[in-house]
Amino acid sequence: MKRILLLIGSVAALGAADAAMIERGKAEEKRSCGGCHGVRIIRTQRLSRLNWERELDKMARWGTEIKDREAILEYLVATQGDDKPQPPPEKSGDGTK
Amino acid sequence: MAHLTRRQLLAATAAAPLAAQQGEFVLRGKKPMIVHNDFPEDLESLPEYLASWITPNDSFFVRQHLPRPRVDAAAWRVETGGMVNQKLSLSIADLRSMSQLTVAATLECAGNGRGNFRPRMPGLQWTKGAIGNAHWRGPRLRDVLLKAGASPQAAYVDFDGADVPVGKVPEFIRSIPMRKAMHESTILAVEMNGVPLPDVHGFPLRLIVPGWDGASWVKWVNSIQVQAQPNPGFYMATAYKYPRVAAVPGGAVKPEDMEVLEGMAVKSFFAKPGEGAKVRVGQSVTLAGIGWGGENRVTRVDVSADGGASWRAAVLGREDFPFAWRTFSFEWKPARPGYHVLCCRAADSAGRTQPIDAAWNPPGYLNNSIERLGVVVEG
Repeated sequence: MKRILLLIGSVAALGAADAAMIERGKAEEKRSCGGCHGVRIIRTQRLSRLNWERELDKMARWGTEIKDREAILEYLVATQGDDKPQPPPEKSGDGTK
Repeated sequence: MAHLTRRQLLAATAAAPLAAQQGEFVLRGKKPMIVHNDFPEDLESLPEYLASWITPNDSFFVRQHLPRPRVDAAAWRVETGGMVNQKLSLSIADLRSMSQLTVAATLECAGNGRGNFRPRMPGLQWTKGAIGNAHWRGPRLRDVLLKAGASPQAAYVDFDGADVPVGKVPEFIRSIPMRKAMHESTILAVEMNGVPLPDVHGFPLRLIVPGWDGASWVKWVNSIQVQAQPNPGFYMATAYKYPRVAAVPGGAVKPEDMEVLEGMAVKSFFAKPGEGAKVRVGQSVTLAGIGWGGENRVTRVDVSADGGASWRAAVLGREDFPFAWRTFSFEWKPARPGYHVLCCRAADSAGRTQPIDAAWNPPGYLNNSIERLGVVVEG
């Protein structure tokens, strides 16, 4: 019983750590990406970990200072991995009125 | 041109990055579009906007690599340089005073359809609406090159626009070979569908490269450089390249096995009805769409209402011009209720036709898979 409680506690702690990591990653996305381009281009993609790694590498080459790479990568994989469904298309408002 | 810092970006561009990300996105002058990005704006046309031969400016897709610049048309100059006898500095009035040509041409992003490839790859996840057909008007590029005295030894022409990268993002510079630069239909457009180019489409000056992918159609052109070699920058040396030999899906391709995209695939799709539409047994419904083939003319479009088991020829629209898409229509009277898969397949004057599944490639270009559109026939 003690071992089971310990296990549950560990899983809960891991979940909390993951959630914290993802929140950190989301903040990092806003900080490191959102100043130069919209984040919609990120959130409309569903990519493998390898492809997100490559995208982060490209952005670093292009001058982005990514301070918390581990967090942003985990955030992207957890929320926009290639196992996640494609979000429904977002329509803009009518700019002709 | 010098690169911008983030702070300078806010001052120098026609839209602010963070402001654009708040709430519903609206781009002045555009009907509702599919938003792939808000800054810079990348907007896809809805399929129903593409049912007519000419795509109105208010529903034409938008693709930008870099934030669009603030433009002072009165002060605008396009400079020619490199392997020329005479460096020119031309105003928009100078360009308008030259002989003008109107070209009907289809503009398609090389990555149109990327979102339908599996495995997925990075990039804008366009479905099918990164395409439009318009009348473009302006002087021939060759007249400008002849005026500048381009060297017979030159082989390429580089184009740069007034859009400026942030940080270390590469400049968006594209080259086209001299044979295409001197083509009678390659123009420097000042107008789109009878009005000055809208700012998101390159006001006041855009290169029109009929039959080629949109990456070559440089916007806000302010520099034309005549060269012996293509530009060595990222957008010629790395991007907009396609494997010489078909790649294993999901696999890597060596850089030396990639070549610069020129021209486009043959392709077609339905503009209407839409995916999931409901129709009635025994009632005629018009299946309408477009077919195009880059530098080649579309010669036929076949339609299937049974998932590709049988095909019949569609009626092609009367407008038949080089470089412009053709509309097609097919009157279909469904005989049985239930779910039906509609398909369309174009063929062109080069003898090409669409594959069931387009060749997967790492950058996700030229997806011309036969479209499969599901509709429900109700009894």
